[in-house]
Amino acid sequence: MKGKCYIQGMAAITPQHTFEGDLSQPLVVTHGNMLSCVEPDYRSFIAPNSLRRMTRVLKMGLAASLKCLQDSGIAVPGAIVTGTGKGSLQDTERFIKEIRDYEEKALNPTPFIQSTYNAVNGLIALQQKCTQYNNTFVHRGFSFEHALLDSMLLLHEGTRDVLAGAFDEITPEHFFIKGRIGHWKKEVISNDALYEHVSPGTISGEGAIFFLLAPAATAQSYAQIGGLEMLYKPSPGKLKTALPQFLQKNGLQVTDIDLVLTGANADSNHAHYYEVLNDLTHCPQLPFKHLSGDYETAGAFALWLAGQMLKQQQIPSQWFPMLQQQPARLRNILIYNHFFGEQHTFMLVQAV
Amino acid sequence: MEELKQKLKVQIIEALNLQDTRPEDIDDNAPLFGDGLGLDSIDSLELMVLLERQYQIKVEDPREGRKILQSVQSMAEFIQSKQQPA
Amino acid sequence: MAERVFITGLGMITAIGDNVADNLRSLRAQKSGLDFTRQLDTIYKAVLPVAEVKHTTPALREMAGVAGKEGYTRTALLGLIAMQEALQHAGLGSLEDESTGFINASTVGGMCDTENVYFDIADPEKTGDFVKYIDTLDCADCTQQIAEVVGINGPMTTISTACSSSANALMYGARLIKAGLVRRVICGGTEALTRFTLNGFNSLKNIDKRPCRPFDNDRNGLNLGEGAAYLVLESESLVKERNATVLAALDGYANTNEAFHPTAPSPDGDGAYAAMKTAMEMGGCTPADIQYVNVHGTATLSNDVAEGMALQRLFGENVPKFSSTKPFTGHTLAAAGGIEAIYAVLAISHQIIFPNLHFKDKMQELNITPETQLLEPYPVRHVLSNSFGFGGNNASLLISKYEG
Repeated sequence: MKGKCYIQGMAAITPQHTFEGDLSQPLVVTHGNMLSCVEPDYRSFIAPNSLRRMTRVLKMGLAASLKCLQDSGIAVPGAIVTGTGKGSLQDTERFIKEIRDYEEKALNPTPFIQSTYNAVNGLIALQQKCTQYNNTFVHRGFSFEHALLDSMLLLHEGTRDVLAGAFDEITPEHFFIKGRIGHWKKEVISNDALYEHVSPGTISGEGAIFFLLAPAATAQSYAQIGGLEMLYKPSPGKLKTALPQFLQKNGLQVTDIDLVLTGANADSNHAHYYEVLNDLTHCPQLPFKHLSGDYETAGAFALWLAGQMLKQQQIPSQWFPMLQQQPARLRNILIYNHFFGEQHTFMLVQAV
Repeated sequence: MEELKQKLKVQIIEALNLQDTRPEDIDDNAPLFGDGLGLDSIDSLELMVLLERQYQIKVEDPREGRKILQSVQSMAEFIQSKQQPA
Repeated sequence: MAERVFITGLGMITAIGDNVADNLRSLRAQKSGLDFTRQLDTIYKAVLPVAEVKHTTPALREMAGVAGKEGYTRTALLGLIAMQEALQHAGLGSLEDESTGFINASTVGGMCDTENVYFDIADPEKTGDFVKYIDTLDCADCTQQIAEVVGINGPMTTISTACSSSANALMYGARLIKAGLVRRVICGGTEALTRFTLNGFNSLKNIDKRPCRPFDNDRNGLNLGEGAAYLVLESESLVKERNATVLAALDGYANTNEAFHPTAPSPDGDGAYAAMKTAMEMGGCTPADIQYVNVHGTATLSNDVAEGMALQRLFGENVPKFSSTKPFTGHTLAAAGGIEAIYAVLAISHQIIFPNLHFKDKMQELNITPETQLLEPYPVRHVLSNSFGFGGNNASLLISKYEG
């Protein structure tokens, strides 16, 4: 597939102070295994009449998408494609409870409508009057990645630009539920000490992150998405051959990589996969999940970070205390992430 | 009737989460839908839920519902008509 | 040069048949699958008609060849049965010869099983076997379960855009092939009946207590259904290489957004009009080239007006034969696009127009009425299949006879 993909605008609502795109913000430290987003004032983006019905992740998704459009200077994108692992948990939980509490009678339709996974897409299209292609992927650690792939296909097919994004929330109830199948650490930790606690499980997170993608670079481009590869339940052996092949396919060797952003999350159950990066000793390898927590679409946060770093040619050291030295320059950033050992992604992000 | 209308206004605001609206902002005869309070078909369904939960009145047909829900006045009249002793 | 995309295999299970042949038999016999539920525990058990697959979940496990194995939700089992038929139909014993993608669709995934134990799952005081349903709730679970049984080795994902989901899955699969990323993709969707969706649509007052009557003036909403359907899509070069039988071509498709309201279409059917027109033109067709439209036709008050208006605007005085097959299968949500795409292929390969059951009176707003008779033989070369979902998501597919 030919054709390039450039990031023209971005916005992120995450457990860090990311909304204004200011990388000098201090690290937000959370004492506890459930990271929550730092949320903006939604009223500057969303009219009260729409806001009144919307639950949290819908507000996060819509606000991040609108901020991204603002950032890119484009009001109506050529398409809207998103990924989410869990959709609006608040609405799903509420509707399930209503069914029980009201014994299936006189139920509120709003939580049912908002529990559909493409509700955020519908709201963005409605708000911006975008009548073009609109799609939502719901597949754990491949949700955002397929939204990206779909976007790249659209650009290749001649779409002018694409608004691509991801959103996921965690609720106390769902945190408990996923805890029952061993997702989170038993010991309560602080995110800034995550990597000192390699043990079963990790910490949970959430975020709503959007990108405006276009086929050509401009002066305001953040970065280029050079390559994307997804692997489902690969063996460590398969990963070891896949990585150099991925780089080679994109005209690079291991030594061309200036920085690796990794999804390493101190979960001893699945840490061994990150050994695939053992050969990349020449450049810094920075984990990012102490900032975002782990969730299905955390890959979007890694892409946001890469885009910011490439544009500013700077790694925010207060967010990455483990960084020993700023690289001389940032041209090629490799992202390697997986979601609980199932969905693995390599992404190449390059300076423009 | 006045008490019912006042109660209805409070309940409508709560059911539809109209955070910036106070009961005194809602005129008895003002249209709730379209230009009035700017409510839509989902709100119409939510108000039918209100009628069922608070007043035990079940409206099956959403088209019938829109007529009843035209204003606070029409809602109050409808509720009273259903609560008249036979 | 982008390759043409062909359909080489079909697999399905619905309320009117456990496979494609049985579905066709029921369509010809005009036998609806609507009845009261036997599987769901709901106060609407004997009130709301649904189109349920006529097998218990343990029976489905037998049919899918996983008897005695745990961890398969009803949704996954329906999908597995349909997938196995599709692969067999396409003559694919194993997928090792070629990277094969799987683009699945579902709206509520494993909710059919999780909703029965949700409050135990969420209760710290309770422990038990139900913990296994935590990982099976989301849409990805059924996709991965099916993929692992049949050996999917290419791109894999799940699309969830409400009622247009599997039509979008077919579109995405076709585009992956055209972009040269893969030469074979299996696309479609699976959905099981749940208390969640039954109550959801009931809260919208969108469900008819009678069997649904699409495009009828007296219609009053939809009936839910369940089922699964997959189509094997292959590139022209792969079809030639392995001498596969082509059933039909997927020559056109479109996805547009209504941008009008969270759940309702614009009354003039702008989104439906744009989707059908774009799909048709992409395949090089004019309105006169279309012999049959399998409409979304849920029988809700708003859908049928909007879709009918769109048909009239697009085809003018010459609206082709059109029918909704949802009185047969119910509205199977994410699986609908796939099921109806298969019916479109059958319309072409058997030269049939399927009837729109339960229709009596023309809608006041429209000039047109659906086809109420089963027409066979009828020359069918190009079919448009529509699927419209919440969030204003409109998908239209153009399925065409293969002349090669």
